[in-house]
Amino acid sequence: MSFLAQLIIWINILTNNLGRLLLAPVAVLPGWLSNTIISAVTGVALLVIFKYTSNQRAIGRVRDNIKAHMLALKLFKDSMSVTLQAQGQVFKGALLLLLHAVRPMAVMIVPVALLLSQMGLWYQSRPLMVGEDSVVAMKLNGSIEQPWPNVNIESMPAAEVTMGPVRVLSKREVYWKIKARENGYHHIMFQVAEEQVEKELVIGKGFMRVSAKQPGWQWTDILLYPWEKPFGPDSVVESISIDYPDRLSWASGTDWWLVYFFVASLIFALIFKPLLKVRI
Amino acid sequence: MANNSNRKLNRREFLTRSAIAAAGFSTGLAPRRVYAGKKGRAGAGKKVIVIGIDGMDPGLSEKMMRGGRLPNFAKLAEAGGYRVLGTSIPPQSPVAWANFINGAGPGSHGIFDFIHRHPEQQCVPFFAMAETLPGEGYWEIGEHKVQLDFWPFNHKRPVTLLRRQGTPFWDYLDEAGIGSVFYNLPSNYPPSQSMYGHHRCLAGMGTTDLLGGYGTYQHYAEDGPVRTKEEGGGRRSMLFFEDDTAKAELIGPTNVLLVNPRAAAIEFEVHRDTGAEAAVIEIQKHRILLKEGQWSRWIKLDFELSKPGVDKHISGICRFYLQEISPNLRLYVSPINADPSDSAIKLTEPRKFIKKISNRLGLFYTTGFQEDHKALSNKVFSDEEYRVQADYVLQERLNLLAYALEDYDDGLLFFYFSSTDLQAHMFWWDSDEKHPVRSTAEAKMYFNHLKGIYEKMDEVLGDILHRYGNEATIIAMSDHGFANFRRQFNLNSWLRANGYVQPGDSTAILRDVDWSGTKAYGLGINGLYLNLKGRERDGIVEPGQQSEELLEEIKAKLEAVTDTNGKQVIRKVHRADKSYSGPATVLAPDLVVGYCRGYRASWATCLGDMTEEVLLDNDSAWSADHCADVSEVPGVIFSNKPITAERAALIDVAPSILTEFGLRVPSSMEGRNIFAT
Repeated sequence: MSFLAQLIIWINILTNNLGRLLLAPVAVLPGWLSNTIISAVTGVALLVIFKYTSNQRAIGRVRDNIKAHMLALKLFKDSMSVTLQAQGQVFKGALLLLLHAVRPMAVMIVPVALLLSQMGLWYQSRPLMVGEDSVVAMKLNGSIEQPWPNVNIESMPAAEVTMGPVRVLSKREVYWKIKARENGYHHIMFQVAEEQVEKELVIGKGFMRVSAKQPGWQWTDILLYPWEKPFGPDSVVESISIDYPDRLSWASGTDWWLVYFFVASLIFALIFKPLLKVRI
Repeated sequence: MANNSNRKLNRREFLTRSAIAAAGFSTGLAPRRVYAGKKGRAGAGKKVIVIGIDGMDPGLSEKMMRGGRLPNFAKLAEAGGYRVLGTSIPPQSPVAWANFINGAGPGSHGIFDFIHRHPEQQCVPFFAMAETLPGEGYWEIGEHKVQLDFWPFNHKRPVTLLRRQGTPFWDYLDEAGIGSVFYNLPSNYPPSQSMYGHHRCLAGMGTTDLLGGYGTYQHYAEDGPVRTKEEGGGRRSMLFFEDDTAKAELIGPTNVLLVNPRAAAIEFEVHRDTGAEAAVIEIQKHRILLKEGQWSRWIKLDFELSKPGVDKHISGICRFYLQEISPNLRLYVSPINADPSDSAIKLTEPRKFIKKISNRLGLFYTTGFQEDHKALSNKVFSDEEYRVQADYVLQERLNLLAYALEDYDDGLLFFYFSSTDLQAHMFWWDSDEKHPVRSTAEAKMYFNHLKGIYEKMDEVLGDILHRYGNEATIIAMSDHGFANFRRQFNLNSWLRANGYVQPGDSTAILRDVDWSGTKAYGLGINGLYLNLKGRERDGIVEPGQQSEELLEEIKAKLEAVTDTNGKQVIRKVHRADKSYSGPATVLAPDLVVGYCRGYRASWATCLGDMTEEVLLDNDSAWSADHCADVSEVPGVIFSNKPITAERAALIDVAPSILTEFGLRVPSSMEGRNIFAT
């Protein structure tokens, strides 16, 4: 697991740089438009990947076979034995198509997951607005019995700490309430025992890249929250998160951006399928 | 009547026409054919703004005007735009606002009290403004009900009905193509439908919370009851901390899709840090950090109601208030209001209107009673905590007013303020006598706070006069005034003591009354009903001479009731057959008891409970009221247009508005134009 976490950190370095470059227009385009463009490009790209990683000839054969048996179903609907046999063959064909999709899926799953984690930085939450409150939560490593380190948040011009630290001993968590003051990408600095740690804070309007959590040494969290370097397994801090507000939109809002992306990329893939001569 | 071709287009109309024209061109249709709705109309471009200030009292207003504390109201009064406004019989808000809505008395709209009864079930009570009827018929699938409301099944789903009858005056504006918009209008929940699309309304008093009541707070405390206790308007539960964490449940809407309906609930955790004097509340995906004495913002919650297939989700909103952190953690949760951004119940006409408001203002109170007076009456809130909560409501209203004015072009704009009523119920005290629950100094301080709200209303009026004074008819009005509530009168105990309720040791009309010997009973705040044969299920009083004599006998005896100090208790008892006219009179109580200032029906009376004593001290924080006699608590009306009528009443406002728009006053209205020359 440790190796997997380390591997994802290296991959994240690459995808963060790519994402910074390729997804930069998201900051200036309307949400629905940027998500539509990304979905279109992704839909077509995945179609091409599918074409070259799947056995197109075999898929063609299976599809022809299915068509033939569908025709048999129509022509010999009075014959029970033919009907049952044809239905069995259609079912078998559908299973074979699924099997043929396994290889391209295996190839696509990693880039798609990385793409989604990059898109999530833009769409899943919106930045804080000036004057808005939020909760910053720090989770500490170790067990409940272990002594508490000194935890302090440094004052900063970008945000005012209006409450905290509030300690929940049973969860080994510390909370602060902050009020956003200045637009931009900022860093909150924490002093935890002898260790100094920082967490990015994003304040502004429109679309900005928002990292809601600086993860700990867990590969799933590192994949989901790729932007900030995770805390090491030996760190006093396990993770730091900021409660950013939901973004309200059907096309580019919290959670809905994902639904929109899958539907739109599927539609674009279907549109381009005949043009690129891909058999699915 | 203005000529359509000459009149100026307002902004909304311009945008609508432009959009329709664009749509027409792009679809190849002639825009004229698409936009076929409006013809020449009366009152086009005319502006009338009505500010409804619930409970604004003429006595206090005049005193403050004389003292220079209400300069804008005083300016209107000096110019002849002020009258004491006759209220309704009885002067209860739902009745009074319905009088305003129909331009006619309760015989027209059928609302005679907060509480009505079903005589065919003897006296089963229900709320007069709206009634939720249970569904009929269903299929049982597991623990769920499945209702199919189409042929051949024809099951009926539960439905909430607006009980107000008759034609509201905006229907005439709607028909004439004149726009009208109402914010927080009482006695109109669920909001009535607009036939022609020119009417919009955000429902006010009468609107329920998601638990189906008029507002149920939930209170959690370490010293709370072990078993959850329901109390009028709230529920109390115990919080049990293990280390620094306590778990609790927030009760949501009842799932009526279950054969045995039960409430949806959301579990939440409270973590306490006594050192920091703060707590963290974790509920669904929200983390709320509160210090002692702090309120959270509105929190959106998702209640899951199980049903066959995909579960139903209802969005509600609430606010958390951390009253105390230690030694006894106390946490108040506001009633769960319908989420204005995603409402499960119809709060506005048209339905999408609420969404439009919410897009601009975010989340806000949507229940009818927003000031949580029950929390103060039940001692969950202190006076100061109630003041803070009620002032927050006023601030939300002012934000809504700013939106309403920004969104207003022409036609009728009605905006309602509840603060002068629901803060007056708790803070009004204009006497040197001892206040029921406060010291004299405290009573004076909070009465001064109420005067501050009158001053705020004056500022609101000043702003509207400044912005629209030259181009609009502006009316500020109240539905009734206010009086101290020091002594309470138990009508059923009095009826029992006088032999009208049997047996002599009965305790409640809904529990242990012998109807075969009972001639009359009280229900609601001012209502008295005969146990009439042929109307009440177990009626014994013969209609005709017997009922006539009984009515006169009870009326005379009641009007003669005096307190221990010899003071008259009841100013007048009104006979329904002489006070009301119209098709809905059949629903009216037979007698309406009009109390003197300082007196009101007892708390127990309203739902028919009896107390040993007939007259008792009021010991509630609800220390002022208006459910007295019509002559005791009139309202006010101010206008920037001189009022020519010598006397004005609530039923005159609608005819005056219609006349302002150049429309004829319909024959169903009993009022007349107060601006008539």
